[in-house]
Amino acid sequence: MSGWQLQTRQFLLPKSGHQLSECEDAVGINALKSRFAVADGATEAFDARSWARLLAHSWVEIEAPVLTPEGFRAWIEAQGQSLHDSWNGLKLSWYAEEKARAGSFAAFVGLQLDFKAGASSWKAIALGDSCLIHRRNKSVLGALPIADYQGFNAAPLLVPSRASMQEAVWQQVIVGQGTIEAGDVLLLLSDAVAAWYLMLLERDEKALARFDNLIRDEREAELATLFESERVAGRIKDDDIAVVRVEIMGL
Amino acid sequence: MYSAQITRANPTCILLLLDQSGSMSDPFSGNSAIKKSDFVADVVNHTLHDLVIRCTKTEEVRNYYYISVIGYGHRVGSAFGGPLEQRRLAPIAEVADYPLHVKTSYKRVADGGGGWVEIPVRYPVWVQPSAAGKTPMCEALFEVKSILEAWLREHPTGFPPTVLHLTDGESSDGDPGQIGQEIMSLRTDDGPVLLFNCHISSRRAHKIEYPADEAQLPDGFARTLFQISSQLPTNFLAAAAQLGVHAADGSRGFVFNGDPSSIVQFYEIGTSLTGMTPYKWMDDKLNLE
Repeated sequence: MSGWQLQTRQFLLPKSGHQLSECEDAVGINALKSRFAVADGATEAFDARSWARLLAHSWVEIEAPVLTPEGFRAWIEAQGQSLHDSWNGLKLSWYAEEKARAGSFAAFVGLQLDFKAGASSWKAIALGDSCLIHRRNKSVLGALPIADYQGFNAAPLLVPSRASMQEAVWQQVIVGQGTIEAGDVLLLLSDAVAAWYLMLLERDEKALARFDNLIRDEREAELATLFESERVAGRIKDDDIAVVRVEIMGL
Repeated sequence: MYSAQITRANPTCILLLLDQSGSMSDPFSGNSAIKKSDFVADVVNHTLHDLVIRCTKTEEVRNYYYISVIGYGHRVGSAFGGPLEQRRLAPIAEVADYPLHVKTSYKRVADGGGGWVEIPVRYPVWVQPSAAGKTPMCEALFEVKSILEAWLREHPTGFPPTVLHLTDGESSDGDPGQIGQEIMSLRTDDGPVLLFNCHISSRRAHKIEYPADEAQLPDGFARTLFQISSQLPTNFLAAAAQLGVHAADGSRGFVFNGDPSSIVQFYEIGTSLTGMTPYKWMDDKLNLE
């Protein structure tokens, strides 16, 4: 990473009336490996918080980055097995047992930065509706896997922990890449905040700039207040919020 | 209308009204192996199972629904067995935790490698088959109205209550038209109470599902049930479409001379509420030993 520095910020906010410990979104940050992730556990699923944390935390720690659909598949299969192994011996009610039988589900997006003289780049992999947004100055250079706020819906694709349910989703893994320059900002966002961000891009750049300043300056209490008021105004879905902001700094 | 978000702070009520008169011990026409009362109890238990699973978030059951199961036959009252026996209405979390008993069966599931494995599955039972006495439909509908009035006093703004009424015969205590209309006139801010009726038959007779007018109905009893059946709101129409059931704008939540598949679909459509994908428990059942 010679010649470059990263400024990384993260923010997690649970749904209204919930504790942070109940938040089913998770972030993974490994600045040494220049690797970042957001995972969003599905509330309806069994142990979704653990599944989201496992995905986000493991992805940024593995030795070599998983950035191909084939590699992602093998990695997910192993993570799913690990999650299910953690459930062994649990004494569950009949309904929790039924939910566990279906496994857990989460959306995932992972980002790897690669710094090379004259050709620095990012690569990302995503499955579901957690998003990467790449900004340069005031322009959005790229967004994946969803680039339009109207592209979000109530039944997104998710990463299943059960091997028997994974086959149906492998074709939907999205891989993207781009170049980076000093001053670029890359955001990893769970679905509600991603939809909100993409909507503001079209409607309210000023509000977007305020959000960016608050997260850059780590003013978490003000961020929480901002999102609470946006929820009340109905501009953002009352859902868990996860944000990872990575700014590429010069020397 | 019918767009209120169903939350723990603003739950809705689902009331299953079951004919448990003596004739329910007769078999369905063309399938003498299955008693109507056995089949209906099975469907009701699966419906309750589905509603619990729908409200289960991780290991917790959230009280989005309050459930009532009222039977009428030799008596009118709660059809729950076990710890909920005396309860006219119970939050779904209590329904989850207090079945009459839980039976274990085996379910065939994909093993992820192209094969199948059989795994033990626990199925709770809340309602046992019952078939005795006459058909006091009016008394039962008065009981329904009483439960709903109490509910609506406490929950005036939520998604309106849904009443799913299943019967195999005519009322033995008078014309249910008036009390049915009174139930349909109850409402929340989000719309009138939904009353859907499913009539099942032991005779081999042409079934009529979700009609939009009375023209094709064979007799006065069918017309009475039609008149006390609510129109299917858009969300419910979408659920019907997903199940391949023909229903259109103006269709009533009404089945006449229904067969076993009609009953299953009636409960699947009737509990789809805000448009959630119907849970096709029949698919599970086919895999059960």
